[in-house]
Amino acid sequence: MTAAVVRPPLVRPRDVVLGGVSAALARHLGWSVAAIRVAFAAATAAGALFGIYELWVDGNPLLAAAGGALGLLYLWLWALVPREQSSPDAPATRLVPVAAVLLGAAAVLALLPLLTWSVATPLPVGAVESAVLAVVSILWTVVVDARDPRRAASAPIVRALAAGLLILLGLALLPSSFIAARPVVAVLAVVLVLLGVAGFLVPPLIARATARSAERAALARQEQRAEIAAHLHDSVLQTLAIIQNRAGTGSEIARIARAQERELRDWLFAGTDPFAGDLASELRTMSRELELEHAVRIEVVTVGDVGELESAALAGAAREALVNAARHAGGDVTVYAEATPDAVEVFVRDRGDGFDPEAIPAGRLGIRESIVGRMTRAGGTAVVVSSPDGTEVQLRLPRRATTASGVAQTEGPTP
Amino acid sequence: MTRVLIVDDHSIFRTGLRADLGDAVEVVGEAGDVDAAVRAVDSLRPEVVLLDVHLPGGSGGGGAEVVRRSAALLGEVRFLALSVSDSAEDVVGVIRSGARGYITKASSGAEVADAIRTVAAGDAVFSPRLAGFVLDAFGTAAGAPAVATRDDELDRLSAREQEVMRLIARGYAYKEVASHLFISIKTVETHVSSVLRKLQLSSRHELTAWALERRLL
Repeated sequence: MTAAVVRPPLVRPRDVVLGGVSAALARHLGWSVAAIRVAFAAATAAGALFGIYELWVDGNPLLAAAGGALGLLYLWLWALVPREQSSPDAPATRLVPVAAVLLGAAAVLALLPLLTWSVATPLPVGAVESAVLAVVSILWTVVVDARDPRRAASAPIVRALAAGLLILLGLALLPSSFIAARPVVAVLAVVLVLLGVAGFLVPPLIARATARSAERAALARQEQRAEIAAHLHDSVLQTLAIIQNRAGTGSEIARIARAQERELRDWLFAGTDPFAGDLASELRTMSRELELEHAVRIEVVTVGDVGELESAALAGAAREALVNAARHAGGDVTVYAEATPDAVEVFVRDRGDGFDPEAIPAGRLGIRESIVGRMTRAGGTAVVVSSPDGTEVQLRLPRRATTASGVAQTEGPTP
Repeated sequence: MTRVLIVDDHSIFRTGLRADLGDAVEVVGEAGDVDAAVRAVDSLRPEVVLLDVHLPGGSGGGGAEVVRRSAALLGEVRFLALSVSDSAEDVVGVIRSGARGYITKASSGAEVADAIRTVAAGDAVFSPRLAGFVLDAFGTAAGAPAVATRDDELDRLSAREQEVMRLIARGYAYKEVASHLFISIKTVETHVSSVLRKLQLSSRHELTAWALERRLL
C-alpha cells in the first residue's frame, strides 16, 4: 500500500498554449509541462507521418487510421477534461493561432490541385480537404476566437482570408466541372462559393446579435438592481431613518440604525460612486466605524473630485481628528472635504465644549503629533480652532505641481 | 404659529414628526401621496409643506411633482424637502422645481422646527449636504463658463456666496457664518436665498447632467 498522494484536480487552465491539456496533465501528475508537450507532439507527428505513409504509399487505410488515433488522445483529453472555474469568467486565451494554422494547412492543400491539375481527374486531390479546413477555420474564428481577447484583431482577417480561399477554390473547380460535365463537382463548386460568401457575411451578423443580447441582459440586470434599490429605499431605509429619528441622536439604537443605513446604502449603490477607494469613501468608511463605537452622528460632505487618495497623511490626520471629535465631543460632527486644483482640504467640525489646544500636555500625542506633525511632514498645514461652541480641525494639503496640471487637464469640460 | 402640512407616505414617520414638532408649529394636515398632497395644499393653504422627496402616486414624479403642480401657490405656500436619500439628483430636482430648502429625515424635531421657521420667513434652508452639492455643481470642477450666455450671472456663484456655502458645508449655522465673515445674519440669509435662486433658475445644462451623474453618495 502506498500512501495516497493528494493531486491537484485535473482541470485545464484558462490561459493556454493550444488546448491546455499538457498543462492540466502536468499539474495533475506533477510532471514537467515541457516533457508532456514534447511527448504529445512527437506522438501526434509520428502517428500522422505513419498514417500518411500507410495511406498514400502502402495504401492501407486501416493502419493509417491507427496512426491518426495517436493524435486523437490529445483531442479526446481536450474534449473531456473540464476547464478551470474562474471568478468573474475570465476569457480563455490561447497562444497558438489555431484558426490561422488551419487556414495555412488549407492553403497548402489548395496548392496540390495546381500541381496535380488535370481535367481528367474527377476531383483535384486536396480540394475537399482544403475546403473542410477552411470552413473549420472560419467556424473557429466565430465560435472560439470571438471570446479570446488575444485574437480580437486577427480573427476577422483570418476569417476573410479563409472565406476568400473558399471562393477561389469554388471558382477554380467550376471550369473543370463544365468541361468534363460533372454535376457533382459543379454543385460542390457552387456550395464552396456560397460558403465563402457566407463566411464574409454571417459572422458580423452573429457578432451584432450577441452584442445586442448581452446588452439586453446587462440592461435587465441593471433594471432589476434599480428596482431592488428603489424598494429597499422606500421601505428599509425609511424605517431606519424613522428609528434614528425616534430614538434620538445619542442612543444605542440610533447608532446601530445609522450604521445599518450606511452599510445598506453602500451596498445598494456600490459601483455607482466613480471614486471608490479615494479620500471620500475613506472618510465615509471611517465615519461608519466611529458611529458604531461612539454616540456620534457624522455627516460627510465632499466637493470636487477628491480623486486618488491624495496622501496617507491627509487621511490619517482626518481620521485622528474624527476620532477625537467622536470621543470627546460626540453629537453631530460635520466632515467637509474639498478638492480644488491647487489643494485638498478637509474640515472636521464638532459641537463639543471645546478645549484649549495650547493646554494639551506634551505627552498627549493625539493632536500635536498625529494631526499637526503628520500634516507638516507631508507638506501641508493643520489648524485646530476650538471655542466653547465646538472645535474645528482644518487640514490643507497642496497638490504637487504635476498633479495639479494633470487634474486640470482631465477635469476640464469637453468642448 | 406656522401652519404646516406634512407629506410623507409613511404614517409612522408623519406621526413621529408630528410628535417631535410638538407645540413649535401647528400641523394642519397630512398627506400620503402626490395627488392627496396637491389637493391638501390647495384646500388647506399651509404656510410650509414638509415634503418627502420620494412619494408614490401622481405620474411618478414624487415630491418634485407636488411642487410643480402647486406652482401657482408658490407665493404663499413654501416647500421644505425632507429626504433620506441625499441623492444629488433627487435633491436638486425638488429644489429646482421650487422647494425652498432641504433637510435630512434624521434631523431632530428642533432642527426641523427651526428649518420650518426659516422657510416660513421666506429664507432658504441649506443643509451641509445641499451646500456641498451646490459647490460641486457650480464649482470649478464642473467646468469654467467658457461661453458667456445670457444667464451668465445665474451660472456662477459670487466669491461671497461661495464662502457662505463653504462654511455651511463645514457645518456652520447661519449665526456662526455671520460672525465668521463679520456680516449680519440677514446678509447671510440674503446670500443663501440668492444661491437658491441661482440653483433654481440657472439654465446650465451641466447642472442636470451633473446631478444625474452623481446619483447617490
